[in-house]
Amino acid sequence: MDLALRDIRRHLGKFAATIVGVGMLLAIVLVMNGIYRGNIFDGIWLIENTAADLWVVEHGRGGPFNESSRLPGDAHKSVAAAPGVARASPFISYAAQRELAGASQQFTIIGYDVFGGLGGPGRLAAGRRIEAAHWEAVADSRLGLSLGDAFSLGSHSYTVVGLTRGAVDPAGNPVLYLSLPDAQEVLYQQDSHALVAARAANAQRLERAGYSSPEAAKLLPLLAGSTATVNAVLVQLEKGRDVEGVRRHIEQWLHFSAYTTAEERDLMLEGRLKKMSAVLGLFRSLLVVVSIVIIALIVYVLTIEKIRPIATLKLIGAPNHVIVRMILEQSLALTLGSFVVAYALMSLARERFPRTLILLPEEIAVTFAVMLAGGVLASFMAIWHALRTPPSLALGG
Amino acid sequence: MPVLEVDRLSKTYGKGELAVHALREATLSVEAGELAALIGPSGSGKSTLLLCISLIEVPSSGSIVIRGNPAWREGKAEVDARRFRRENIGFIFQGHNLIPFLTAQENVALAMQLNGAGKRDAARRSREILGYLEVANRADVLPATLSGGERQRVAIGRALANDPPIVFADEPTAALDTDRGMKVMALLRRVARDKRAAVIAVTHDHRMIEGFDTVYEMNDGRLARKEVSTRAAASAQ
Repeated sequence: MDLALRDIRRHLGKFAATIVGVGMLLAIVLVMNGIYRGNIFDGIWLIENTAADLWVVEHGRGGPFNESSRLPGDAHKSVAAAPGVARASPFISYAAQRELAGASQQFTIIGYDVFGGLGGPGRLAAGRRIEAAHWEAVADSRLGLSLGDAFSLGSHSYTVVGLTRGAVDPAGNPVLYLSLPDAQEVLYQQDSHALVAARAANAQRLERAGYSSPEAAKLLPLLAGSTATVNAVLVQLEKGRDVEGVRRHIEQWLHFSAYTTAEERDLMLEGRLKKMSAVLGLFRSLLVVVSIVIIALIVYVLTIEKIRPIATLKLIGAPNHVIVRMILEQSLALTLGSFVVAYALMSLARERFPRTLILLPEEIAVTFAVMLAGGVLASFMAIWHALRTPPSLALGG
Repeated sequence: MPVLEVDRLSKTYGKGELAVHALREATLSVEAGELAALIGPSGSGKSTLLLCISLIEVPSSGSIVIRGNPAWREGKAEVDARRFRRENIGFIFQGHNLIPFLTAQENVALAMQLNGAGKRDAARRSREILGYLEVANRADVLPATLSGGERQRVAIGRALANDPPIVFADEPTAALDTDRGMKVMALLRRVARDKRAAVIAVTHDHRMIEGFDTVYEMNDGRLARKEVSTRAAASAQ
């Protein structure tokens, strides 16, 4: 006779409520797993989805994502001339917080050479790539823009010609692709007050230096800050070329720093993502422990509530394995039921969740196995208590 | 031959000056079909005697023989305690102690299944027993929905599940009014007679003493057969 099942049937409402409660907690564990993996996935998405063999950045810098890097706008030309380089393209990437699709959104603008350069969007979900030098954009669908939508950035209006799905920056924010000059303009554009103030300050400096007003007026445009810089140069090597040799040439002769895609990924994982991953990993572990402790307490309370029937069972001669089985089965039913609820909740929340959730089947299986083992361990305290209960407890009023 | 023979059974808790003699050389013999009462004040050793005979408590000395087979002798058990209880002793509790999440029929069948009966066989025989106790119509309800008297009948049914030679009843009528108490006593009498079981009941209920064949009195751990004129004894003579 399955005592656990009959007890559950008798207290179905209470048991179901407990399962939902623990299931919600386990759902948080699964979501934390998803965030943990999603954080890594987002962090290296741009690196993994850019077909570059080398990332060339400002000398000594860990850019372009971990640290700011500025290279001259024509740096890609000298890189392209390096032996073994098949293609070299300018690349610009920066975070923006602007009004888009009727809401203030944080996203990353990526500027690239739209005429055959590297660093552009990979697979498009809809539409086409940017084909004009100006005023066209490819947006990620999470920005809420549709094909043909027009939006303003700075003083210009752009039209969405293509859509990506899941194109994110290392922080998990959606990406907006523009042509390189458009991206530079959006990045360096100053408002008229700032321009007038800068111009006046430069004019004062020239006059103090002894230049006459007409001379200063001629020199002023030359003092304006350059907007022709890029953050990195993306390199594609000729087939069969040794990446180390090309990198050595670029670093020694051009005085830039160059990272392979693997190194760029490591920079991200060991730098920007490391602490966040550690924190998420810690939370994940803590939540698993807390869940197991809660399951242990629930199983213990369920057992304590049955302590007199357990004493009666022992008195009428029930072997220990009957009592152990009853407690273990309830613990496993609680763990299994809660996990099913957790998985269902997490699946429902997945699409609406504001961050990327990556749920690897093997990780779900491991979490399930850990929770199952935890559930069994959790029932030991209750089993210990039940086995120590004297049958004589059943006697008396 | 007596069903139960207890010879100079003692139980002492602790040692030296702190020793508590809960049971002092208790001797009793109960025949099949006999209805025996065990009376005495609280703390006199009644429960200790039942716990020792059931091998729940370990006796300090003495012997216990069931149907001619030794169960406890020379300081050690001759049988597996839980199996011994399943096969030889039925328990009826003051608070019924039915398993709350099992139906009346399942409560009786559980005791059978614990003793190795098959599921179908246990289901059939448990319904028969409930029929014998006149609660067959309540077989499929949970104990919480049974009346006090019905619960006591189901508890008796569970005690009889494996046809034990001995039935221990702990205050079987304490929670019942006189009328229901009398009915339970009549039922125990019927069980003793029909099933040829020795029924030993711990009781404080002096209203019911008359219904027993034999009365044993416990005092300070000592057991003595009390010569009382019971209606049952008189009718036996």
